[in-house]
Amino acid sequence: MIIAERKPMPEIMEMISGIKKLLILGCRGCVAVCSAGGDKEVNIMVEAITLGKRLKGETIEIDQDVLVRQCDPEYLEPLKEKVKEYDAILSMACGVGVNFLAEQYTDTLVLPALNTTFYGANLSSGEWKEMCAGCGACVLHLTGGLCPVARCAKHLSNGPCGGSVNGRCEVDPNTPCVWQLIYDRLNKLNLAENMRKIMPIRDWTPSGEGGPRRRVREDLLP
Amino acid sequence: MSNKTGKVIGFCCNYTIQVTEEPLKEAGILPEQVEFKKLSCTGKLEVASLLAAFSRQGADAVFVAGCPEEECHNFSGSRRASKRVKYTKEILSELGIEPERIEMFFVPRQETEPVVKAAKEMLARLEKLGPIGHKDNEDGSGKAA
Repeated sequence: MIIAERKPMPEIMEMISGIKKLLILGCRGCVAVCSAGGDKEVNIMVEAITLGKRLKGETIEIDQDVLVRQCDPEYLEPLKEKVKEYDAILSMACGVGVNFLAEQYTDTLVLPALNTTFYGANLSSGEWKEMCAGCGACVLHLTGGLCPVARCAKHLSNGPCGGSVNGRCEVDPNTPCVWQLIYDRLNKLNLAENMRKIMPIRDWTPSGEGGPRRRVREDLLP
Repeated sequence: MSNKTGKVIGFCCNYTIQVTEEPLKEAGILPEQVEFKKLSCTGKLEVASLLAAFSRQGADAVFVAGCPEEECHNFSGSRRASKRVKYTKEILSELGIEPERIEMFFVPRQETEPVVKAAKEMLARLEKLGPIGHKDNEDGSGKAA
């Protein structure tokens, strides 16, 4: 899922400075699962902003809502008339939701309450880890299912760098070297020969280097 | 106690206190500025509820009195509450409000005195901090002058 985290409150308070009527809009997609922008977090944001404004001796009218997703037009549709009532929407979705809202409602200021950080897995309650970089050219079939693009600090394609020490990454010793993990896993699966296969120079075009990516399936188009 | 001290709201579970605040106040045991809010379990408390005590209910300090950490009637309720108090402290700090305005107390079950002691501890803190947004700290920082 997409992982995000709340921006620091001073940044949010600065963003909404001068706003008199605000809609705080959560999302029940990825950001609800990673506890950044779902129902509970919207409730927290409402109270934090109310308190922050009280401290400044300012008033603000706040409404709140949480959509099933902010990245699908059918869920944004009911907001069409409602958004006109507000000076701004503080979106608690990932960056996709913020962009999509901004494109749909061109006359309304849309502000981000979160920093969108990575594609990750939920290791345990309250802990998430990056596992995919969305690079558009998956090599997981060669690497035992472990991604060197997302999980190697240098995005190396053909084994570890010289800085890998005792299975740890030189960039952060708390992080295991993913190439060590890949070797151990391939060995366990009797696929260690994969390590000898030289991956060609990576084409980064599918990762976004060629501009914003777009996927079209003709059979699904209206 | 100065009337400028401010208001304390205490969230207590059914097991940490079994009397209401009125008889304690009538007996002169509990100061007037303290208000109890009883819950079935402190694990039910959400961060938003703790913040709302400050933002909507006029609290200048808040405490949560839950069962001893390893002896919670609901196993992990008071531990969950303490984590939420910790997160609330982070948000208060980000807003420029002293985090010591909220505290978790693990107290023995079915004894009133430790809860009263917690309330008095928070009032003592307020004596130093003053109320949130008090005219002595009109810079809006929430910090006492």
